[in-house]
Amino acid sequence: MTSAVQGAGAGRMARYLLSRLGGMLVVMAIVAVLVFILTRAAPGDPIAVLLGDQATAEDIARVQKVYGLDKPLPVQFALWLKELAHGNLGESIFLQRPVTQALWERAEPTTLLSLLSIAIATLIGVPCGIVSAVYRGKMVDQVFTGFAMLGASIPSFWFGLVLMQIFAVSLGWFPVSGYGEPGASLAARIWCLVLPATVLGLLNSALIIRFTRASMLDVLGEDYVRTARAKGLGEDVVVLKHALRNALVPIVTVIGLTVALLIGGAVVTETVFGLPGVGNLVVSAVIRRDYPVIQGALLVVAVIYVVINFAIDLLYTVLDPRVKY
Amino acid sequence: MKRGLSMQRRTALSSLLALGAAGAGWNPAHAQGKSALNLAMVAEPPTLDIQSTPADLVCIIMQHVYEPLFTFDANAALVPMLAEAMPKISADGKLYSITLRSGVKLHNGRDLNADDVVASLKRWMDVSPRGKSVSAQVADLTAKGPLAVEISMKNPYAPLLAQLAMASGMAGIMAKETIAQPLRDYVGTGPYKFKERKPDQYVLLTRFENYSARKEAPSGYGGKRAALVEELRFVPVPNANTRVEGALAGQFHFADLLPIEALPRLEQAKAKVVPLMTQSFGFPYLVLNTKEGSMTKVGVRRAFQTAIGEGEMLAAGFGDTRFFIAEGNHFPKGTPFYSTAGTDRYNERNASKAKAQAEQAGYKGEPVRILTSRQYDFHYNMALIMAEQLKRAGFKAELNVVEWATLLQRRADPKLWDIYITHSGLFPEPMLSPPQLGDGAPGWWSSAAKTEALAALNQEANPAKRGPLWGKVQQVVYDEVPYVHVGKFASLSARAPSLQNYNPATYPFFWNTSLKA
Repeated sequence: MTSAVQGAGAGRMARYLLSRLGGMLVVMAIVAVLVFILTRAAPGDPIAVLLGDQATAEDIARVQKVYGLDKPLPVQFALWLKELAHGNLGESIFLQRPVTQALWERAEPTTLLSLLSIAIATLIGVPCGIVSAVYRGKMVDQVFTGFAMLGASIPSFWFGLVLMQIFAVSLGWFPVSGYGEPGASLAARIWCLVLPATVLGLLNSALIIRFTRASMLDVLGEDYVRTARAKGLGEDVVVLKHALRNALVPIVTVIGLTVALLIGGAVVTETVFGLPGVGNLVVSAVIRRDYPVIQGALLVVAVIYVVINFAIDLLYTVLDPRVKY
Repeated sequence: MKRGLSMQRRTALSSLLALGAAGAGWNPAHAQGKSALNLAMVAEPPTLDIQSTPADLVCIIMQHVYEPLFTFDANAALVPMLAEAMPKISADGKLYSITLRSGVKLHNGRDLNADDVVASLKRWMDVSPRGKSVSAQVADLTAKGPLAVEISMKNPYAPLLAQLAMASGMAGIMAKETIAQPLRDYVGTGPYKFKERKPDQYVLLTRFENYSARKEAPSGYGGKRAALVEELRFVPVPNANTRVEGALAGQFHFADLLPIEALPRLEQAKAKVVPLMTQSFGFPYLVLNTKEGSMTKVGVRRAFQTAIGEGEMLAAGFGDTRFFIAEGNHFPKGTPFYSTAGTDRYNERNASKAKAQAEQAGYKGEPVRILTSRQYDFHYNMALIMAEQLKRAGFKAELNVVEWATLLQRRADPKLWDIYITHSGLFPEPMLSPPQLGDGAPGWWSSAAKTEALAALNQEANPAKRGPLWGKVQQVVYDEVPYVHVGKFASLSARAPSLQNYNPATYPFFWNTSLKA
């Protein structure tokens, strides 16, 4: 009987995984079409940017031919899809290297920056959110809620410049910008990420504080929490073991989504601190209309976003055994 | 258990300390032993092919790798670089015989020869917009021996040597075997050789130990070049405020093109940074569409010129009066091409006179579409003021604010605009900029007076006579208003006090500079 139930559960899970995988492929196909159409619908021409102010229409037409930009759009799209099917994202018009290589070179700073930022955001956001919920309406709650409001309102470029002014210019503890000198060690490179990660971490912690507080407040009002207290359990055990475990699902969701956003969206911070990350790459590519890079980068970021979402969904089953697929 | 936790904490703490200690290595103050310059640039270069683009940034970096046959000295006079001496020019002004310096080493170890020069110049005439315009004048280009090159022209063409000497979109000489499209290997003759490009991180150049320097004393871009610093690191720092902070923190030995508002801060921090102002760095100009739209009639364009006040526009664009000069002469006083011809029409800002001129020329309230972008704040700020000045004179001005890439695309279509705003560096030869003096550039200016005045200027080989002939071209520009020279602006950069022997230039160069210990 038990093994039959387990078998049925495994079958359901396999069906769920397959349907999610299918859904992901459909999403990626839609993203590919949209990205291609949107980049080409925007005015501007990469070759006019590449050749500069003095290029004539004939010069531009000649180089457009070299990069296949003279072909009709459906043909360009078909060629791009054909390359995609072989795992090739194309070649950057400006960087003189394949898009996959350009993305790979930027994977390290972006990944490390995202992980450091989310670590800072979580270490601040979750404890502050819990304390805020437990001491609802008290001074400490007001302070943390105020901090969360402030974090949500401060522009990251301004906060970045303030931290830069204090810790890089005045105190000289960190570099103002960049990702280390040529041949810098991993530790030196990570050191360059401390200030930008602090900016992103502090600002993103605001959202986590609010979600943790709201989720904990919901749970702290539940019957089983009252029962736990009635059993005489200590308040720390009640809050951290009984309440927090049950409040984790929305918190994990917001942390996961923040990671996904950071991978493609730390644009402003990367620009202010001159970091060679994916956000910076996408911004430069959009300014120059480097079509292969825009298309490739957005597609890869979309894949990461979808995969992280999927991973979060699977994590729910671990955090809350009642969740079944 | 307790002991284990404490070990983990100790490990974490020591890792953090190690990270901090390693991180401290970022500061150039710690890296001076390496003899390297960290140079903050405004962006990632769009390419490293110095011939294919006139982008200043590409020129600033790659002029250390590639060299031209001729260059400009500190007085903007032409001097030889890879050529042994100035060329022999035939009496009819059509044949240029150039002899190369012997024993000049390419970065691949081989000696430079005439075949490299011919192949490089042919490529330049094929891929460079300026090269193409020169190509239309060239009848033949051949090697006449291992170190001899001959260029024969269809007609006398005085700007040839200046075109070959210009640093941006340079007719840079490269090893023949590396010539390709697109260029993949960067092998030139310069004091630095290309080592590595990490997009969005740096372009790294290292000293070329076998560099063949000239013997003359350094002057401007000319004379002896020496790579005194071992390594040049061109770092893209697109955020202007970050470049300022980096200069103040001592992270960069040189920070290019800083916002004017940063000057007081730089002046206050004299021990940490030296502000550098380059006067007459460039000029903003307004291009008028002579082919289609509301500005096709000369009379309307002259009314437009009467309506605008260039002084007001410059004040809006640059603010601080130390950073602009409102003057109608296209070249500064004291230079060979200084002329006041036509300048009584500069900065008139006379709405009622403009209104009357426009009516007389048949202007009937058609929209005047001003194409501009916010890529450069001064373009946008000038456009705002200009639109108001035009409205005051009865023009139906419409601002069309787009992104830079869109502007570059749209200006190629005469149906989409009437005026666009751009700027250029101020160069020592009139024919180098703006491109509207040539054929086919946006604006599509073409007239008998233009052809006549430019033919006289371009066919006169005697530099002393070319100055007055430029005055006649300037007069035609004021008469027909194909473009408006708004004035001149200065640029702001900064260097670390430790960077020695740096001479400000339109295209900053770092040969002959050294680091104070």
